[in-house]
Amino acid sequence: MGIKQLAQIIHENAPDAIKTGEIKNHFGRKVAIDASMSIYSFLVAVRSDGQQLMNESGETTSHLMGMFYRTLRIVDNGIKPLYVFDGAPPKLKSGELAKRFARKAEATEQHEEAKETGTAEEVEKFSRRTVKVTREHNNDCKKLLTLMGVPYIVAPTEAEAQCAVLARAGKVYAAASEDMDTLCFDSPILLRHLTFSEQRKEPILEIQLDKVLEGLGMERKQFIDLCILLGCDYVDPIPKVGPSSALKLIRDYGTLEAVVEHIKTDPKKRYTIPEDWPYQDARELFVNPDVRPADHPECDFHWNAPDVDGLVKFLVTEKGFSEDRVRSAAARLQKNLKTSQQSRLEGFFKPVQKTEEEVKSLKRKNEEKREEQKKKQKMEKKEKAAAKAKPRGTA
Amino acid sequence: MDNSHVALVSMMLKAESFSPFRCDRNIALGINLSSLMKVLRCAQNEDILTLKAEDAPDVVNLVFETSESDRLSEYDIKLMDIDQEHLGIPETEYAATISMPSSEFQRICRDLMALSESVAIEATKDGVKFSCSGDIGNGAVTLRSHTNVENPEKNIDISLSEPVALTFSLKYLVNFCKASGLSGTVKLCLSNEVPLLVEYTLASNSYLRFYLAPKIGDEE
Repeated sequence: MGIKQLAQIIHENAPDAIKTGEIKNHFGRKVAIDASMSIYSFLVAVRSDGQQLMNESGETTSHLMGMFYRTLRIVDNGIKPLYVFDGAPPKLKSGELAKRFARKAEATEQHEEAKETGTAEEVEKFSRRTVKVTREHNNDCKKLLTLMGVPYIVAPTEAEAQCAVLARAGKVYAAASEDMDTLCFDSPILLRHLTFSEQRKEPILEIQLDKVLEGLGMERKQFIDLCILLGCDYVDPIPKVGPSSALKLIRDYGTLEAVVEHIKTDPKKRYTIPEDWPYQDARELFVNPDVRPADHPECDFHWNAPDVDGLVKFLVTEKGFSEDRVRSAAARLQKNLKTSQQSRLEGFFKPVQKTEEEVKSLKRKNEEKREEQKKKQKMEKKEKAAAKAKPRGTA
Repeated sequence: MDNSHVALVSMMLKAESFSPFRCDRNIALGINLSSLMKVLRCAQNEDILTLKAEDAPDVVNLVFETSESDRLSEYDIKLMDIDQEHLGIPETEYAATISMPSSEFQRICRDLMALSESVAIEATKDGVKFSCSGDIGNGAVTLRSHTNVENPEKNIDISLSEPVALTFSLKYLVNFCKASGLSGTVKLCLSNEVPLLVEYTLASNSYLRFYLAPKIGDEE
């Protein structure tokens, strides 16, 4: 899922690119949300006593509960959400998907075993791992969104790619996903943690692609190459290439072609490239993903008034939600649709360009900070090692 | 600027407000406001305040002198990097300029806040109307130009090149009004589709300015 260690690399090399803030800072903005990822996380997280929520007839309602209340929270904060569902996965992903399938199967087995012999905690742990988003879950959520008046679109393939295209075209302010590969699909801004529960009090992370590229000192093409090297959903990572060596390889050689050439000709044979490693195809998927262009008629979105009676029928009668809560939520949806939007000063005042001197001094300061952090980490490691090295009982 | 980038405050203290004033080259000092507040609380009303910073400083130095008792207190506040983007404010010719007693403006904002979270300000040649509507009902206050010969601070002066109508969040305006104690009069400058400027004039040509982005109806 996503790009391994990318968040960490960005955090270390381009700290300016990540801004944290409260959800309410994003009022008035339209945001494209990766629905499939969200539904999955709801199925995993929205639980009581470790069990998925169910209605009387035993159908799961965790996804609806999550979708309904988290969307409501987003709307309450003045954000206009728009959901993007996954279409058919690209062929290259089949390897990754097969792996996930195998993991699920394993988890299911372990779950069964835990039920027999394990503790309640283990049962819960494995039951979370067996979660799968089915077509029914998706259809339930689509129906719910229609009733709520919130638009959605089904992407031809990957939902993140579609979110990114919409954000790049200015149809929405940002793409919201937990998946870091949204950045590879060229989304100018990625929001993380948007669909998290309020109780978790996680700040919303806003990652700006141009600042990431600036911080890494890379162009977009190199960035994609870096992500492929780090390990994406489409090709296996090269064994023994971790985040720091991936970064170094791309920085030293510029492109993946050159990196591959280097690895093959390296006399020391430090790394071995997997036999089937179609990195060019993976890159092609990132550069030219199969998406609806933003000017496609399906990408014309409208936020409508909620269908209150429809919501009550669906959620209360069929799914066993509390009628009072559904009705009051619908009233909030209605109210938020009507109120005039607060605008922002950026729309009127333009940021002053930083002078070269300021940019330089900022860069220097950032570097200093990074050095300091590294030193600190080293010191800590040393101390730990020293503490370990001491024979027991002498301290 | 606030976190959500809706309002901006800008305060100008001219060189003539200080004596002596010396500044060899332009320098920006990033100071954490709550730290500054903490230190300023250590001063008394009649103290003489001296602000000092060196070239490429790490701290700003504040000295409070009490003239009658020769008490001298000195504080250093660590500076910070302000990573926020700096917005340039263009010089604007406003379509409507309204000056009024700052207490009057404060009262209007407080009164209307009880009914609604936003206020519509409409300036026409007849006067300026502040109106709002909320769940319990609606309300409006209208002011006209008015000259008070005895007390010019109570003048209401409306000058207008074209009619203006804009909506603003009252929550922010009420916060701006906390500056009422600094100046007897307040000036509101408005143009359609441009942020509102609320200006409090301070002694010796200095000023405290607030900018507030308007609320806009949905485009759809």
